[in-house]
Amino acid sequence: MEDYIVEMRHITKRFPGIIANDDVTIQVKRGEVYALLGENGAGKSTLMSMLFGMYEPDMGEILINGEPVKFRSSNDATAHSIGMVHQHFKLVDNYTVAENIVLGVEPMKRTLGIFPSVDLKTANREIAELSKTYGLEVNPTDVIENIPVSVRQRVEILKMLYRKAEILIFDEPTAVLTPQEIEFLLKIIDGLRKSGKTIILITHKIEEIKKIADRCAILYRGRLVKVLDVQSTSSQDMANMMVGREVDFNPTKTPANYRGDVLEVSHLTVQNANKFDVVKDVSFKIRSGEVFAVAGVSGNGQGELADAVSGLMKVYSGSIKLCGQDVTNDSIRQRLESGISYIPEDRQGVGVFLDFTLGDNLAIRKYYKQPFSQGGILHFSEFENYADKLIDRYDIRCGQGRKTSLRSMSGGNQQKAIVAREIEEHAKLIIFVQPTRGLDIGAIENIHKQILAERDRGAAILLISLELDEIMELADTIGVIYNGQMMKIADASTLTSLDVGRYMMGVKEA
Amino acid sequence: MDKVFIDGLSFAAPLFIMAMGAIYSEKSGITNLAVEGFQGFGAFVGALTAILLMPVLGDGSQAVIYIAMLAAFVGGGIYACLHALLCIKFRANQVISGVVINILAVALTTFLTSTINKSLNGDASNKFVLGVFNRYTIPGLSQIPVIGALFRNMYPFEFIMIVVAIVAWYLMYRTRFGMRMRACGENPQAVDAAGGNVDRTRFISVMISGALSGVGGICFAYSISANFSPSIYMGYGYLAIAAMIFGNWNILPTGAVCLFFGLAKAGGYQLCLSMGLPSNYSDLFMMLPYVLTLILLVFFSKRNHPPKAAGEPYDKGKR
Amino acid sequence: MSKQNKPQTRQKKAWFSALLDSEKWNGLTIPMLTILLTLVAASIILLVMGKNPLVAFLSFLQGSGFFPKASYGGGQGILTDLFNFMNILAPMILAALAFVVGFKAGLFNIGIAGQMLASGFLATVIIGYSGLSAVLAKPLVLVIGIVAGGLLGALVGWLKYKFNIHEVVSTIMLNYIISYLCGFFINTYFADSLTRSSKICSDSARLTWTNVNIGGVKCNLPLGIVLAVAAAFLVKFIFDRTVFGFELKAVGTNVRCARYTGINVGRRLVFSMAFSGMLAGLAGVTYYCGYYNTIVPKSLASMGYDAISVALLGNSAPIGAIFAGILITIFQYGSNYMSSTVGVPKEIASLITGILLLFSACGGYFRYMAHRRLEREKDEEIEASRAAKSAGEPAESPNAENREKEGKL
Repeated sequence: MEDYIVEMRHITKRFPGIIANDDVTIQVKRGEVYALLGENGAGKSTLMSMLFGMYEPDMGEILINGEPVKFRSSNDATAHSIGMVHQHFKLVDNYTVAENIVLGVEPMKRTLGIFPSVDLKTANREIAELSKTYGLEVNPTDVIENIPVSVRQRVEILKMLYRKAEILIFDEPTAVLTPQEIEFLLKIIDGLRKSGKTIILITHKIEEIKKIADRCAILYRGRLVKVLDVQSTSSQDMANMMVGREVDFNPTKTPANYRGDVLEVSHLTVQNANKFDVVKDVSFKIRSGEVFAVAGVSGNGQGELADAVSGLMKVYSGSIKLCGQDVTNDSIRQRLESGISYIPEDRQGVGVFLDFTLGDNLAIRKYYKQPFSQGGILHFSEFENYADKLIDRYDIRCGQGRKTSLRSMSGGNQQKAIVAREIEEHAKLIIFVQPTRGLDIGAIENIHKQILAERDRGAAILLISLELDEIMELADTIGVIYNGQMMKIADASTLTSLDVGRYMMGVKEA
Repeated sequence: MDKVFIDGLSFAAPLFIMAMGAIYSEKSGITNLAVEGFQGFGAFVGALTAILLMPVLGDGSQAVIYIAMLAAFVGGGIYACLHALLCIKFRANQVISGVVINILAVALTTFLTSTINKSLNGDASNKFVLGVFNRYTIPGLSQIPVIGALFRNMYPFEFIMIVVAIVAWYLMYRTRFGMRMRACGENPQAVDAAGGNVDRTRFISVMISGALSGVGGICFAYSISANFSPSIYMGYGYLAIAAMIFGNWNILPTGAVCLFFGLAKAGGYQLCLSMGLPSNYSDLFMMLPYVLTLILLVFFSKRNHPPKAAGEPYDKGKR
Repeated sequence: MSKQNKPQTRQKKAWFSALLDSEKWNGLTIPMLTILLTLVAASIILLVMGKNPLVAFLSFLQGSGFFPKASYGGGQGILTDLFNFMNILAPMILAALAFVVGFKAGLFNIGIAGQMLASGFLATVIIGYSGLSAVLAKPLVLVIGIVAGGLLGALVGWLKYKFNIHEVVSTIMLNYIISYLCGFFINTYFADSLTRSSKICSDSARLTWTNVNIGGVKCNLPLGIVLAVAAAFLVKFIFDRTVFGFELKAVGTNVRCARYTGINVGRRLVFSMAFSGMLAGLAGVTYYCGYYNTIVPKSLASMGYDAISVALLGNSAPIGAIFAGILITIFQYGSNYMSSTVGVPKEIASLITGILLLFSACGGYFRYMAHRRLEREKDEEIEASRAAKSAGEPAESPNAENREKEGKL
């Protein structure tokens, strides 16, 4: 009999309309790195959320050290020495590192001998010690909002260790890191394994599994496909099992054919609400038929750069020219009219009206113009024709056609609708910010194809992505942004992902 | 001049306690426009207790007043459950809920006051007549020139307010509950992941908010008119919210703003008297705190940072 | 609750939930449920007070001219009551429309009472005391109402956009400022020495034809009701069919996306508050220079708040506001007669309105619950069919308690 520290047997979990996990069984051995591989939406995170007590399974049972357990909250999981680093960090921005780590298990003292209060001094000391022991360098008194993403992740890891977790769950830990930071993290994980911890790693990146994991379970659309030994399986086989079909790793990209300049950004500086420079003196050009990709770690000014070009944020200094015309001080609508399309990062918060129908959402770039309206009166027949045309042409899946409320559509189809609406403008410049975040492989492929098709049509593409793979795959030119500054702009063929990673961490050119 | 300080402080103290109530709710992530209703309902419960007790304990009894304050504390807390239920359990829009709570409080207390009056003494008046608070002067401190007046002719509730303020500060910034509560207002997901109970923490915070507002209400009832009537709804709850906004959701600066409001109001009134204007003109001076609020809001609203998660119902499934 | 339930009751529940959840019907069913709950609550209160709820409800209707009273004074009849009812209904509908317009654009206009007072005061002072002939005076009263209310609304919208001042706070502050300011002017310059309220507005400027004889009964004919119904349809048209309305809705549902679309959000905020203020201004003149002809200093019309109940009960739809307005006005206006015949304090009308408001605020939750229940039933069906397929495996029904907690995936 094997020594299984975690067993999840016949787990089924259903959300309204979706079966997230369907009869999944996994068994994790003590002291191993166990990977869960699958696309977005395959049910990895849901499975682990149940192990961590965030949800309860509809069916099936969980065993820890051979004992059946029932977790009603993350407290129960913590009591069984389970810890989890979530994909979206669960940190309080205006708290210090130490406050975040002890939140929920605060050490107490008695002020003046009577009043119980949180003992932050002890917390700070303990955390400093802990961080030294595991090589996870943090300063306990730093405030979260002032520290970079990779350090925040360390805080999340320390949170688990502070709670004396033996089973550590990592949910897509490398998604926000540079290649160098990934190396460092994998080393940390290896160190944790050596010190006897059991690690469950959720990821969709096969190379990481190859590097670090002992065994790997593959999930596909909520079902367990296979559990396999990492050493004896090829990457290609894993990929095929993950996607459920043969994958083509090398999409065809025709050689670039540049024509005239479309976007010219010079000495652009953008300030945030606190009058702090978030984009600093950035200059670049994008030509017709070129994909210009901005690489960078999240929060280094790339979002603000896109907002400034589209007009959502004010330019503090510098200028933006579109086909030779200065648009720096134009309103948002003027810029859209002069040929900018924008697929924003926050697609539900910015890109669509969730409470409107699909038809209305498809028309929001056109409703105020003829033939969609005349003299201030809307013409709904025009809305309907247009929506039906786009739904058909871009294969947008929706329950009730154009009358479907956007809220009830899947994330992938919402994004399809946004992309369809923006591409139909036949703009000179198309800005894509994180266009494939959270989508499954099929949808990603589809959007990548559309980006390249637009480039071949002659549009200038500004692509902003946190996924280095995506950038390496699509870019003709890469600009690397760090702390609001363009560290490097070069032809994509001259850069390796390691080079880009170095610039992403702020290394200046020699 | 002394009168300005004395009246100013007696206005500022209840306002401050209400503002603190508002802070408690908002820091936990529940937008609170219901302070006006909380304070009115709390004052109603306190006043009802007082008029029921007065025949037993005697009209001039000061003990009645303290019991009334306790009753207002409890009454405000219980009434606040309604806001908490609407916002947390029923996921109602928190702004609408606040407005509903206020309107309901006016209707409910007015109706109950006249119904109770009718059954007690047959006269359906909408007033509960309360006793008078004794005033005290602190011997040493009141001799200090200028600000000494702050310590003369004080209502005892002003001391109680100071104690309550210290306790509230301690609870918010030093205890386990406070730490989780403030986290709930910034990132409830973090609290949930760390094993805290977001809904419960918020519920308790809203109740505390109501309780503190209730105490503020009964103090207004005693200090301004010595009775309870629908005129308790003078919009002071909204002044407290404005004070909280200027104070950037922090207790100490909010206290300073309340004191400023109090002094401005009392100062305006005294100015009106000293200029020998007819009583009509007092209306213009009564307007002063509200005008001041608007003007201050113009300068302060843009720069401050409300708790990030305030106004959003917490949805466990959302990631 | 899954297996023991008799199939019959479950079906009934599903039917009820489906009605509450359906896109087509929930605009009607949820307000109906709200009204039902309120009537139950009101009945309980009346029973506790030892009164017969049915008699009380009937007397509300009698007071509003929907049912004949037992007896009438000289020259009065059921029509007198009905026209008076419509006279007070007109400003109620207009005020509710004012709230609806703001609400659709995502703004809470709590300042309706103040905007009503300001426009009513200005119209009274400028036109009501001028001695102009009716042909000139009546339209001018409307114009002043629209302009005064519109400017006040625009101010609130501007403060919100320019300085980020929450409209609830600024409108409340303005309510008090207007109340004191008008109070000061009335007391100082326009007070009637006998009544202490403002001198009366001339009949030629009033939006009510007083003492018209219809079938031997004296009636006050309200002009405002025509205006109110027309305004409701105009508002409906604007929101359903125009670019302006589309943009207001866009701003109301998602400001960030509206900006992204290129809509000038600031201008729309100001416009929508101005529009809302105009309707409130019209409500003000039909109230102070229509139903009434005088202003009591330093008091705000409670209608400004009742209008919120009307708007929310009417599902924030313009036509819904007409029906909800009728219902709430029956309580508010009928309460006088009810009070005198049944002997319950007339404040109960406000209480009933408050309770109605409370349940209206929960409308979204009712729908959410209905939706939940439907989904659960659907899941149970799937579960049952799965269980039937793999008869060997024991199938548990999904734990109902768990499902409560989760939101979306």
